[in-house]
Amino acid sequence: MVGGLLLTFGLCVATARQFLGGAVPAAFGDALRVDGLSALVLVLCGYVGLVSSTYGVGYLRRNEARNLVTSRMRREFYGLIPFYVFAMLLVSMSNNLGIMWIAVELTTLASVFLITFHDTDTSLEAGWKFLVLGSLGLAFALLGTVLLFAAGQGHLGEGMAALNWTRFIQVASSLHPFTLRLGVVFALIGYGTKAGLAPMHTWKPDAYREAPSPAGLLMAVGMLNGALYCVLRIHLISKAALGPAFSGDLLLTLGLLSVAIATPFILVQWNLKRLLAYSSIEHVGIMAVGVGLGGRAGAFGALLHMTYHSLAKPVAFLSAGTLAQLHSSSNFDRIGTGTFSRAPVASGLLVLATLMITGSPPFGLFFSEMTILKAGFFSPHVTATSIFLAALVVLFCGFAFQIGGLVLGPPRDPKDRRVPLPERFDVGMATAIVVAIVAIVSAFYLPASMLALIHAATQVVWEGA
Amino acid sequence: MTTSDLLILCAAGMLVSAYLMVGQKALFTTIRLYALQSLLLGIVAATIAVSESRHELFVTAAITVVLKAMLIPWFLMRIIDKIGIHREIEPFLSVPASLLVCLGLTVVGYRVSTGFPEGARGVSHHLIGVALSMLLVGLFLMVTRKKAITQILALLTVENAVFLVAIGVTPGMPLVVELGIAFDVIVAVLLLGILVQRIVDRFESMDVSRLSKLKG
Repeated sequence: MVGGLLLTFGLCVATARQFLGGAVPAAFGDALRVDGLSALVLVLCGYVGLVSSTYGVGYLRRNEARNLVTSRMRREFYGLIPFYVFAMLLVSMSNNLGIMWIAVELTTLASVFLITFHDTDTSLEAGWKFLVLGSLGLAFALLGTVLLFAAGQGHLGEGMAALNWTRFIQVASSLHPFTLRLGVVFALIGYGTKAGLAPMHTWKPDAYREAPSPAGLLMAVGMLNGALYCVLRIHLISKAALGPAFSGDLLLTLGLLSVAIATPFILVQWNLKRLLAYSSIEHVGIMAVGVGLGGRAGAFGALLHMTYHSLAKPVAFLSAGTLAQLHSSSNFDRIGTGTFSRAPVASGLLVLATLMITGSPPFGLFFSEMTILKAGFFSPHVTATSIFLAALVVLFCGFAFQIGGLVLGPPRDPKDRRVPLPERFDVGMATAIVVAIVAIVSAFYLPASMLALIHAATQVVWEGA
Repeated sequence: MTTSDLLILCAAGMLVSAYLMVGQKALFTTIRLYALQSLLLGIVAATIAVSESRHELFVTAAITVVLKAMLIPWFLMRIIDKIGIHREIEPFLSVPASLLVCLGLTVVGYRVSTGFPEGARGVSHHLIGVALSMLLVGLFLMVTRKKAITQILALLTVENAVFLVAIGVTPGMPLVVELGIAFDVIVAVLLLGILVQRIVDRFESMDVSRLSKLKG
């Protein structure tokens, strides 16, 4: 599996290189087409797929050593993870709104059994909520797609190509405004549900907690990027037809709401993986705010944020996943405080990851958040930006409080008989360390081609071409 | 009876079936109502296919009838038989109150539908009005009911409403996309069915309001 995903990542990078070389790779009558935005999301998804599968091998081996893995689990795991990655890559390459919808639905279907993987009461609850809410979101997205299609009646042409995003952009000025508005709202709510924008975020904490960490990582980065890709495509159609304010303001509102809602839940959180879920809601909110503010700087900030988030989040997930696995639970009361003395590597990486995902300097997310804030204070949305800044500060404190207590607090009660497993060097830990090194290095040195890719994606989001 | 009469009759029938679902507690009947609703959707598609000679809509009609009027209801009934739970418990809101709310939702649906451009068919206004009302009624059903099967049916009602919009206001979605969507819907229902069985096995109930351990 790792070999296959290594090859996949290689192909993603090759496709992106081809794009940077000036080509626009396309297939199936432009149903799949790689422009700057696609290329960026493609590379990030490929990277996360590789990380998640490598760590997944280690994860499964650790559980195998404790006889927790049945043959059903092994089959499901090795079948579903590659299928999930395939669906994500399909999302990020799709130029056809119909194919895009089908691909997003495929990711939903793939993740249900990953969420219910451990077959417990709570995982069934999470799986059920996820599938019902996800399907409802997708029904909305489908309605949005149908309405967008209806708005372009007589202009979009015939057959499969009529649903192509590029076609929509070409005929944007002749789309029927009322139908389009209604379609955009439904589609944004629908894909926003998949991205986890508040108030449609409620499935996220449950799903992240229950899914095995490698699968949780795929959802937190791959799914998030993929769904945001869909949101951006819809936003761009709306922007080309109705001007930037309509869907931009909607994104700004949803984004601010996401950042604001995540704040209290992080402060009172009782579970490590749910904490990461709220962080993920916060980050998708930040990206939505960046795009919603409008302007080139906002778009650039959002995409830079997407990139750095995709690099930093794996560190958090892999270290938190390791801690949870060693203690057989991700609840704070089961893990206990003072993990640093028991699992120094995982705890150290978790502290590092916390610094990264809360946007502390000198790490990448600091720069992207600064870019978005700067764009915000130079835009007409100064009040919104101030609220945004305040929420970010509180979020930082909340995270520092929670993780600091977990890692550095007094050591565990020696009378507690649920002794955690010792930390051992294995594939999982090696992956976590490598991923952390990549994330640190990327903060100081982003390869020129990667930066070119982000600029190309910004070009798409800013000018819609 | 003219074509447009038939279309309006079928669309109205779909809306009525959605209302009856709201007022119904026996799960078998609710599933049959859903099957009837899907059958009417199939007839709407077939009628438009004949009257406007849009032959690709025959495929839509065939998929709808086979999949949604026969296969999915059969599958859901089998699940109910297997787990032996036949009645919905008292919903969060009483039936008369629910029906009143749905009436309000229908008004909203029709009000929104007036914003659409007048299509070549005068009936498309009614189709959209019914579809949007059904969408809202489906959502309402979803939030007020507790049984897992009823929630699946509510979801499928929303799905039917989306298809009615697709038939009513567009010249037909591309065929590949339509097939893909149909495939996804059936897989989603299968998964939901499997999950329901697992939930019943574990909780000895399919009351989803008991799924409340995860908070905060």
